[in-house]
Amino acid sequence: MNDIIQIQDLSHRFADGTLGIDGITLNVREASFVVLAGANGSGKTTLLRHLNGLLLPTAGTVKIDGVSVKKDLRRARQLVGMMFQDADSQIVGETVSADIAFGPENLCFKRTEIEKRVKHALISVGLSDIAEQRPHLLSGGEKRRLAIAGILAMDPKVIVFDEPFASLDYTGVKQVLKNIVRLHRSGRTILVATHDLEKVIAHADRLILMKNAKIARDGAPETILGDAEQFDVRRPCNYRPGVKMRSWLS
Amino acid sequence: MAELTVFSYRPGGSIIHTLDVRFKLILLVLLSLASMNAHFQTLAVLSLAAVGCLINTRQPFRSLLIELRYFLILLSFIFVARAITISATPFEQTGLLSFTRQGLYGGVMVCWRLLLIVLFGLSFISTTRTSAIKSAVEWFLKPVPFVAEKKVATMLSLLIRFVPVILDQARKTAEAQKARGVENRKNPIYRLKMLGIPVLRRIFENAENLITALEARCFSEKRTGPELSATPKDWFVLLITGIFCAVIVLWQRLWLM
Repeated sequence: MNDIIQIQDLSHRFADGTLGIDGITLNVREASFVVLAGANGSGKTTLLRHLNGLLLPTAGTVKIDGVSVKKDLRRARQLVGMMFQDADSQIVGETVSADIAFGPENLCFKRTEIEKRVKHALISVGLSDIAEQRPHLLSGGEKRRLAIAGILAMDPKVIVFDEPFASLDYTGVKQVLKNIVRLHRSGRTILVATHDLEKVIAHADRLILMKNAKIARDGAPETILGDAEQFDVRRPCNYRPGVKMRSWLS
Repeated sequence: MAELTVFSYRPGGSIIHTLDVRFKLILLVLLSLASMNAHFQTLAVLSLAAVGCLINTRQPFRSLLIELRYFLILLSFIFVARAITISATPFEQTGLLSFTRQGLYGGVMVCWRLLLIVLFGLSFISTTRTSAIKSAVEWFLKPVPFVAEKKVATMLSLLIRFVPVILDQARKTAEAQKARGVENRKNPIYRLKMLGIPVLRRIFENAENLITALEARCFSEKRTGPELSATPKDWFVLLITGIFCAVIVLWQRLWLM
């Protein structure tokens, strides 16, 4: 498999002088499932926002599928779909289907193609029955699924989830997790930023721990989970060295 | 969560539901103009048309009255203001206020016209998706020079989309402040300030997040536009309504003035 994400010596300094990320070098293989964990302010969101050019590097380069993000922002944003922590501010349409159509409309697809993509995305996340519902009336889990559908309709190769389980109840967590796992099985590269490993780590094939704007540990989850609490990340309750983690979906 | 009100789109299959949104906007303008020029007899005819629209679109009359209660209170103020400010021979004197027959008639006319316009507007809003209104605004603004029609239409749809979110935010903030005893403070300016500042701050934060989300989904002014198509039915309804409004205005001008 190719490296779909190539990050070289990436640093980002905010306008107030704070260092958001510091000299990060990271490659991510296509179709992999990576969990990025760390305490609040460790640099997870800052790193992820460089993948589709929402933030541009102060130093270093970010390439998606071999092309620099800086050189072609539109391409990067089509290839890397991003689900934000606050789903409410991500939803821009006045109905569920109108929101899903927003991305494909921006990519200037023909109306028939847009309708096809909307229908497919609605079926994929199980929201077909409420296609004409107004988004602000949806539950937390449904809003997250709508945000996923909006990303899916743009057919990205990489999907980035920033704290996808925040403020969700058990049912909501399971619904969102099921969708993430299904997207991974369909061949997409998944990156999940979280400080709550418990819910997702069983499905990941790589875990990256961040601290103070840097990558502190990077490897297979079973090999570095034991170190998680050194980096202010809670170890999953059911973690036992050498034993495979149980999924929340099982 | 913000609830659905009668002033929101309700799916349905009425004639008004199936009309092209551009025609509906023109019909709304025509009927509103006719209402503004109408007097007693012609207003009665227009009222029949408004009731017909409400029945056709299956409006829940009870909810309608509840939703319109504040508007009806506003109308009552307008009525009183008109009744006491039109000078003529008073037929009733109450303290410093004097009511004239012309004033009362003028008040009734103004309130009736405003109510009719609101009812026609309701028939339009409840049968038309916001996305369709956005498309129509974009279409009407296209020939206007120096106006970025796509931007205006998107801003309009975002505004409509975020009104319930803003109201919900205001409600949550008000509840949080009630829980901390804000009701013990009797100064309304203090209470308004304490509610307004956090709500505004949150709105600006949401706006910032919204911009990021729009960027992440490749938003630009160059995007697939709306698909609007007029059918013979739209033209027929426009013709009939045009004739109806013209008859109302002429009837008013030629026979009733």
